Amino acid sequence: MVTAGGPVFLPRERLDALLDLLHEGGRTIVGPTVRDGNLVLDELTGVDDLPVGWRDEQSPGRFRLVPTGGSRVFDVVNGQMSPKQFVFPPKQPVGTMQRDADRAVRFAATPPDPPRLALLGVRACELAALAIQDRVLAGGTFVDEDYRARRESALVVAAQCTRASSGCFCASMGTGPEVRSGHDLALTELDEGFVVTAGSPAGERLVARLPGRPATPAEVAQAAADVAAVRAAQGEPVVIEGLRDRLMDQLDSPRWQEVADRCLACANCTMVCPTCFCTSTAISSDLDGTVNVAERQWDSCFNAGFAKVAGGNFRPERSDRYRQWLTHKFATWVDQFGMYGCVGCARCITWCPVGIDVREELAAIAPPTVPAEQMPARPAAATPGRFEVVTLRGSHHETPDTTTLHLVPSEPALLAGLPGQFVMVEQPGFPSLPISVSRFGPDELILTVRAAGPATAALVAEGPGAQVGLRGPLGRPWPVERALGRDLVIVAGGIGLAPLRPVLDAVMANRDRFGEVVLAYGARTPSDRLFTDEHAAWQAAGIELGQIVDRAEPGWDGRVGVVTHLLDRRDFSRRPTIGMVCGPERMMQATVAVLRERGVAPERVFVSMERHMQCGIGLCGHCQMGPYFVCRDGPVFSVGELGELFGKEGV
Amino acid sequence: MATPRVGVVKMASCDGCQLTLLDLEDELLALGERFELVEFPEATSRRSDGPYDVLLVEGSISTPEQAEQIVELRARAKLLVTIGACATAGGIQALRNWGDEPAWRAAVYPDAELIESLAHATPIHEYVKVDAELRGCPIDPGQLLELLTALRVGRRPQLPDEAVCLECKRLGRVCVLVAGGAPCLGPLTQTGCGALCPGYARACYACFGPREQANVASLGRWLEAERSGPGVDRLFAGFTGWAPPFRERAGRAMSGFGTAGAEASVPADGSDGVDDER
Amino acid sequence: MTTPMAEERDLEFSVGQLTRVEGEGRLHLSVSRDGRVAAQLRIFEAPRYFEQLVVGRTPDEVLDIVARICGICPVAYQMSGVHAFESLAGVSVDPAVRGLRRLLYCGEWIESHALHIFLLHAPDFLGYPSALEMAADHRALVERGLRLKKLGNRLVAIVGGRPIHPVSVRVGGFYRVPTAAELAGIREELRSVLPEAVETVALVAALETPVADRDTRLVCLRHPDEYPMSDGRIVSSDGIDLAPGEWREAFREVQVPWSHALQARAADGVPYLLGPTARVVLASDQLHPTARTALEATGLTLEELRRNVFRSIVSRAVELVHAIAEAVDLLDAYERPARASVPWQPRAGVAAWATEAPRGLLFHRYELDDEGIVRAAQIVPPTSQNQAAIERDLELFAPAVVELPHAAATQRLEQLIRSYDPCISCATHFLDLTIERDR
Repeated sequence: MVTAGGPVFLPRERLDALLDLLHEGGRTIVGPTVRDGNLVLDELTGVDDLPVGWRDEQSPGRFRLVPTGGSRVFDVVNGQMSPKQFVFPPKQPVGTMQRDADRAVRFAATPPDPPRLALLGVRACELAALAIQDRVLAGGTFVDEDYRARRESALVVAAQCTRASSGCFCASMGTGPEVRSGHDLALTELDEGFVVTAGSPAGERLVARLPGRPATPAEVAQAAADVAAVRAAQGEPVVIEGLRDRLMDQLDSPRWQEVADRCLACANCTMVCPTCFCTSTAISSDLDGTVNVAERQWDSCFNAGFAKVAGGNFRPERSDRYRQWLTHKFATWVDQFGMYGCVGCARCITWCPVGIDVREELAAIAPPTVPAEQMPARPAAATPGRFEVVTLRGSHHETPDTTTLHLVPSEPALLAGLPGQFVMVEQPGFPSLPISVSRFGPDELILTVRAAGPATAALVAEGPGAQVGLRGPLGRPWPVERALGRDLVIVAGGIGLAPLRPVLDAVMANRDRFGEVVLAYGARTPSDRLFTDEHAAWQAAGIELGQIVDRAEPGWDGRVGVVTHLLDRRDFSRRPTIGMVCGPERMMQATVAVLRERGVAPERVFVSMERHMQCGIGLCGHCQMGPYFVCRDGPVFSVGELGELFGKEGV
Repeated sequence: MATPRVGVVKMASCDGCQLTLLDLEDELLALGERFELVEFPEATSRRSDGPYDVLLVEGSISTPEQAEQIVELRARAKLLVTIGACATAGGIQALRNWGDEPAWRAAVYPDAELIESLAHATPIHEYVKVDAELRGCPIDPGQLLELLTALRVGRRPQLPDEAVCLECKRLGRVCVLVAGGAPCLGPLTQTGCGALCPGYARACYACFGPREQANVASLGRWLEAERSGPGVDRLFAGFTGWAPPFRERAGRAMSGFGTAGAEASVPADGSDGVDDER
Repeated sequence: MTTPMAEERDLEFSVGQLTRVEGEGRLHLSVSRDGRVAAQLRIFEAPRYFEQLVVGRTPDEVLDIVARICGICPVAYQMSGVHAFESLAGVSVDPAVRGLRRLLYCGEWIESHALHIFLLHAPDFLGYPSALEMAADHRALVERGLRLKKLGNRLVAIVGGRPIHPVSVRVGGFYRVPTAAELAGIREELRSVLPEAVETVALVAALETPVADRDTRLVCLRHPDEYPMSDGRIVSSDGIDLAPGEWREAFREVQVPWSHALQARAADGVPYLLGPTARVVLASDQLHPTARTALEATGLTLEELRRNVFRSIVSRAVELVHAIAEAVDLLDAYERPARASVPWQPRAGVAAWATEAPRGLLFHRYELDDEGIVRAAQIVPPTSQNQAAIERDLELFAPAVVELPHAAATQRLEQLIRSYDPCISCATHFLDLTIERDR
């Protein structure tokens, strides 16, 4: 959030001034209030209407308001209603249809006539939901004019969460708790008042008129810390990395029936969800059918008749419908709109009458292939000048010029990485080195390094107890979950096997979730092959291992040639296949061409690109390749997205 | 279109569903101009044995005479529409179906032999084919009007088969089950009432009957876990207890009611409703 | 077909199912050669065994169940029940809650009386088989009836949830009480129709009315401060005076072979009349001034109302004015109670009470066990109690009409019966007329 004049502090007793400003021009303020013992979103006439001294206790299938005895107004995180109630109303006339006595017809669309609203107390997850609905309802070819008019006429005053409810998982979904955009004003509540920032020109004008003063650094820091604590309180119950692919791989999971036995198909989850947008039209006619009014109302894919046609029903079973909802929200929405449909507000969990928890269902139906402890949080030391210290436990030579180092960090975030990611290695006095991680261990990071210059030579020369600095894990990983339920062909050339080994680790840990897995490994000589002590284990796990060397040595009775020869007479067109290729760039180009001939489309082939990296975090500009920063947008790319760039000289 | 001949007849019932037609005050005279009410004993002395283009039937079949009568009426009606919980599900009086009807009769009437009654009070569709039904105890006037309008216009009536929950959420009513702890049957119940009871801070008691694929087992388990112990069965022993999805649980409750000294297993002081400490 | 009385034959006179009353029944008259008439109200409405259905239930469940005894007067059943349970449990409700209950009852009286006056009974006086056909010539009158009925329904709906089988009544009060804002609109509408209701009294008093003169005992509640609805003592025109739970001291139910309905009789066997006429006559001093003025303007005396049952339409119209006027007063004074209901403890014992349904005294009696569960019930609707009086009046009045053509005789007898505004599903009773004449 960037505010022209900086954050402002509004004392608690002057909150009424904000409401007065919001009321200007005949605006109606809508926000949380307690009515008949329930938390609702409704018109607020004054500060006293806010839920002062209340907080919520939520768990699957249960919601209670609990008095705090305090004076905070935003301790209630959320309730059944979301801003959807006002920008996409439950019932909205859309038009009239008339048929005259002479059978002529007339249609008139209901023109938008939005009320002037100020939405007060909007949470980060709700802002994200509004952004999603903006995309769905107003961001494509066809626009819902009523929605757009309501959005444009509404002022949005956000409230950053300073407590999380037990179900919240906005951090997992990347939608909160910090308020980033989509707001005119944002408030963060402290004991004495509110830190106020603007998010738009309209917001800035409002801030300028508030009876506040510049917020002190301590207040700003407190606000940031309170919000950060909300993030920490949530953990990461939903792993969205690869979630789309994992979920779509499981359309035949037996779990769908198990959850359907519990699910009431009552549609409550879709009703309370701030992004669900399915509707149907109800017609009310006069007795003769001459004047008919069409009204759009919220509908739900859970209703039995939602997918019915004259000949039957496309989703007759509850399990069909639950699967439709979950896969739409967490998978196909990505395909439709480029984002997940869920913002992690947890309403569907709380307001499900039988307490079905989507976090649990996702973990049961589509668990990540990498253990939870290894799920990336934020890279460690990801700012210039900072590095985390790690200690070398030991090292050994894989080949004459390649050494594997076992590094023990004290910062656990360094261990939370995915196959294909790398770290920046910092030795005092030497340039930074980008090194792929060849294995993420439970308590150590394993790097396999080829001594190619003075810095790498110095690194591999270190002995046990030596220390270096690390930054990471960085970069976009191999899309292991794209291969779930499919065949996987991995082609490695020389040192290129190192960043691919974590893929093999993931495959071995989840072997039955993949189809046929082929590893084609090419090295210069037999002695230059990496990880030979693991080859037998890979084969035992059902990975087909093919090896080839440029030049044989005595005792070698394997194949000799280039690695692409291992792909001769292969036909990958029969079944969906994912390809992962890593090695010298020429090798990758040749391999990609062969894979295409063998039936693997470029969109399904992934490569790991190398460029000169200095910072690893996209700030120094060295690793640019076309529109991409290889350290940040890669190093893994699909050949399809690289397009002309792949193999092009001089970029 | 020729003016349809409409009949309104009554079996064992309270009259409330027929009355709903007379409660369409704003539309009644207009309806009278578009439909010919040839038989409606409550409202007119004109009588007709049929034939009927549309026959609205209220009430459950409770006597031998009614059992014969409904078959004759079916033969004379093009469209037979059952209205209300009694006609569609047997009504509250169907709860006697688990009982010993002669014993009940004897308990109410000193000279039970003089009263002619069937052992069971059952919905109309157990005797004759039914073309359409309006649920509810009583039916909803808006749905009745939609049915009649649809007949005029020629479209299928818009009678959604969805849970009461959708209407609660559309109306912004906070869930009495999740937020109030009340044993609401709304998720299992067919909509039509406008989410009435939650609007009055109480749990839905399913007077519109079970909706399609009502998952009684799941909500029953949840309510039992939440409410620690029995008492859930009796929620189903209500105005639509004879409807097949509810029948098993209603039957279990009924076997506990009639016997002397049987435990209530829910507090009789009404504290079972919405959590009043909110 | 007329038959000279001189012929030495008994007559059996049979008329088809009585229409424009609630429920199903037949009337069978036997007219002997010497002109004596024996009348049997043959109720063939199917029994539903409500007094068994409530066994094993909690009081709040009972309130939902007994509403279903009648679609026209569900509030009456809920009121008699809730007062019975509260009297046993020793519950006293907030005065604003008490006021809301009276408002609810006013709404039902308005709806029920308007239904009867305009849609069920007026066609008799004006010579039409139905209100719908009457509307062809008297559209404004029918529209007025519908308008008044609709207001009554709306009032019940706002307070109780819906007009038929309200959902908001519970022991201790209500599940939810309306805000003053929710009641503001209907207050103005009721105020605006009061003149029409007043005008209706004059209108029905001026209708051509058959003459029937007989004495009758009247029974209703009487309260020192208010027109009787839910509270007061059970009194008669001739000295009965009981607490509202003590109905059985002076009355009992008997079964007659020709009826699915139990009839209620006074212990001394004298038939009695319940309903608007009883209340107007015995509690005329408690009528709202607007209603009393309207009555006085007709020039009819209380005695005339009592002695000519065909004048019940006037009593009913007077009560319609009263209910509207009192509703306006109650709405003017309304302040939303802080609590919709009070907590209460179940007790063993007998819960008994009587309130005034639109058609008259409605008595409930429940026996509760130690857990507060109902173990036995007795519910005596007003129409059961009026049956003896109806049969008596038929026997008195029939000789004057049996000589008319059958259709005309039927119409007269039905008009007589409709004067009682019988509610047959309540009494599981009503009306197919068979008059047997000894020929």
